[in-house]
Order: sequence, then structure tokens, then C-alpha cells
Amino acid sequence: MPTAPTEHFETASTLAIVVSSNEPLLFLTEDQKIIAASASFCRAFEINPATVSGLPLGELGGGEWALPKLASLLTATAAGSAQIEAYELDLRRPGRATRRLVVNARTLDDGVVGPARLLLAVTDVTDARAAARLKDDLVRDKAILLQEVQHRVANSLQIIASVLMQSARRVQSEEARGHLHNAHHRVMSIAALQRQLASADGTMVELRTYFTQLAQSLGASMIADPARLSIKVTVDDSVVPADVSVSLGLIVTELAINALKHAFPAERDGMIAIDYRSAGKDWTLSVTDDGIGMPEGNAAPKAGLGTGIVEALTKNLASTIEVKDAAPGTVITIRHRETTDLETPDLETDVSSAV
Amino acid sequence: MRDGKPVVLVVEDSTLIRMSAVDLVQSAGYEALEACDADEAIRILESRGDIDLVFTDVQMPGTMDGIKLSHYIRDRWPPVKLIVASGAAILAESSLPGGSRFFAKPYDGTAITDAMARLLAEEV
Repeated sequence: MPTAPTEHFETASTLAIVVSSNEPLLFLTEDQKIIAASASFCRAFEINPATVSGLPLGELGGGEWALPKLASLLTATAAGSAQIEAYELDLRRPGRATRRLVVNARTLDDGVVGPARLLLAVTDVTDARAAARLKDDLVRDKAILLQEVQHRVANSLQIIASVLMQSARRVQSEEARGHLHNAHHRVMSIAALQRQLASADGTMVELRTYFTQLAQSLGASMIADPARLSIKVTVDDSVVPADVSVSLGLIVTELAINALKHAFPAERDGMIAIDYRSAGKDWTLSVTDDGIGMPEGNAAPKAGLGTGIVEALTKNLASTIEVKDAAPGTVITIRHRETTDLETPDLETDVSSAV
Repeated sequence: MRDGKPVVLVVEDSTLIRMSAVDLVQSAGYEALEACDADEAIRILESRGDIDLVFTDVQMPGTMDGIKLSHYIRDRWPPVKLIVASGAAILAESSLPGGSRFFAKPYDGTAITDAMARLLAEEV
């Protein structure tokens, strides 16, 4: 146990605490001579523990601790006029990489009257800083990479959308043109989601913004006279995972396209209401129109690709689909229920009030 | 203008998108020219004085991207209208010359032709 040849002796317990400190620690006299150094300090800075006692701080090791700024801060601390908190300095030793240190110093207050004594704690943060820098670099790289991917996705979607639109303009048959337009809407529906995912961080999608964008995009390309037809979106504050939002968005797209194409023949006025609300894990999506209603029985049109898509996605979302006469018009409701105890029949009133 | 038809220069490095954009411009009743990067676009702008509107992509190989190109055009040919499209979801319209329009890719053809019609209508 190193002891200092000072005029008053430190208690053995104080010295023991210093020497066994896990954090590299120096115990110094007022004039910056070493009373004791922790074993961790000697290990970290390659100092022979046998040589430290009584040595001035500036002569420790190869003299690398003779740091004027540190000395003056310690003097100020000893005088009680300052306290060193998280002061950073570089420790330079010949033949060794520079180490970045964070030092904290305070006077030891153990009730002993006499000259002040100092506790100097030294933490080597070189590796931690390098790790933090590496992490920052990785985060930045990841952000750049993600942005690049989003760019490419947007460009690819643009190619698909452009080719579909170009084909639609060229094709002679009205029916084929309709199919190409629908395909274009589906691509744009996914693009709206992609855009929202790119502008928000994370993978959760806020449905109100997404459905509103969808409705705007569908309206812009399918409604020639906004005074005659409109799409209204009513969505609560629901936020869903990206994969769920893709399915919901495509369902909304299909149902809205269907209503726009079939519910309002002969320049009929009307509105399409898209409504989504959730309670816990349960949710209900409805698309209502006040058009001519669905023909039934033999007059019912053959199910097209759109119907197939809606059925598949509904099943995928573990939900049920219901088509009802809204008098006038049609309401299509997709429900997902995890709480099985109550069916909520009040939904129809909700939906019809939205029309 | 050429024979009473507005002239639109499409600048886009992706062949398929450029082809469709040219088709879109033509279907809207305009004369379409095409360039695959900013340098070619500038050469075309220098070679003829009848271009009314430039519809450009942002990310392109070559010395300038679409944003730099749009500023360059605004400085050298102030009357030329500008529409910029990019795969970047968020692009501050403030980074573009005043009066130009921005669209995120994939853009809707109708939205582009509407914007073209509006910009060309405010002809000086």
C-alpha cells in the first residue's frame, strides 16, 4: 500500500478505497503530489504502482501528465474556487496513439482539518468516442441508403405508371383503356403510400393522410367535374403498420374506382364517403356511395379483377366484407374483429350519417 | 411556340419515362423535344428560341441535376416555364426558381398536363 510522506497520514480506509477504485483515480495533495493511485489507473495508463507515491503529477510516467491546463484547474480546485467537471484533454505519449480523457476533480471532504487533498478521476473515452462516431456514420449511411432506395422505388413506379398511361392513350378499345387506367390507379395508390412512408420515419402509416392522398389522386384522374362528384374521407387517428396500410389502401382504391365507374351513370351527382375507424385492435372500413345501387341477381355484373383483389385482401386482413343497400346507393363495409363478444350493429348508422 | 403550338422540352435520363413523358406532352397537344441530361437540354435551348416550357427530372447524370438546370434556365432564358419532377418525396419548392412547379414521382399524367396548361396560359 503506497502511503504519502505528508505531514498528516491518510487513514488506511481512504487509501484502500482509492487504490481499489474501479474508475481510474488519483489521490493528490494540494500541491499535486500523488498520495495514492488506483490500481485501475496504473493499469489503464501503464504506470508502475510502486513508483507513484509522493511523485509530483507532472513527473508521473514519462512526464505526459505535465499538462499546464490540468495543473491550473487542479490548483483552482484545491483553492476551492472551481471544480473540474468532465474536462476533456488529450493524453499524448511517445509511440502511442493519443488518448482522449475526461477528467473530474474535487477536493476530498472527510472532515480532516488541514491542507486540501484532491480526488482526480480519469476516464479514457477514446474507444467510446470512436464507437459513437462509427454509430453516427452507420446511421448516416443507412439514411442515405434508404433515401436512395426510395428514389429508385419512386422511379420504378414512375416507369410503370408512365407505360400504363401511355398504353391507355394509345389503345383503341374502351374496355382495354379502362383496364389500363385501373392498373394505373393501383400503381398510384401504392405510390401514395410509398411517398408517405418516405416522408415519415419508421414503418407506421397514418391512415388519414394516406387515404386523403389516395382520394385526391383518384379524384384528380377520375372525376372530370368536381362539382358533380366528390370523395369525402373521414378517418380517425389510426396508425397502422405499412403492410396493413398497403392492403387497406388497395381496397379503398378498388372500391372507390368501382363506385366512380358504376354508381353514377348519366351525369348523376353524388358523393363517395370513405370512412375508417378503430377501437383497440378492431377496425371498420367502409366505402359508401349515394349512387344508383348495385344491380342484383342476373343483372349483377360479373366479378372483375377489382372484386378479386378486394376479396383476397379482405381475407388477408382477417376481416369480413359486407355489401348493403344504402338507399340510395351502396355501402361496402370491411370489418376486423378480435374482440368477439359484441357485434357492433351501430356501424350502419355511423356510415349513413357520413353520407 | 412553333406553328401556334407551345414547345415543351422533356429532360429525363430514363428512356421509358422520357418516352412516356414525350407522349404525354404530345397528347396534350404540344410539340415535344427530348434531352437525356442537362447538358443536352442546354444545347437544345441554345440552338432554338421557341421553347416555352422545360419539364425536367432532378436526379440525372452529367454536370447538373434538374435543380441546378432549372436555375440555369431561369437565369439564361427567364421566360421559359419550369416543371420539376423527382423521386425524392420531399423537396422544398423554395430550392427551385420562383414560379416553377414541383411534382413527386410517380406523377400523375393529368396533374402534369394541368400544370403545363396553367403555366403556359400565364404567357407574357
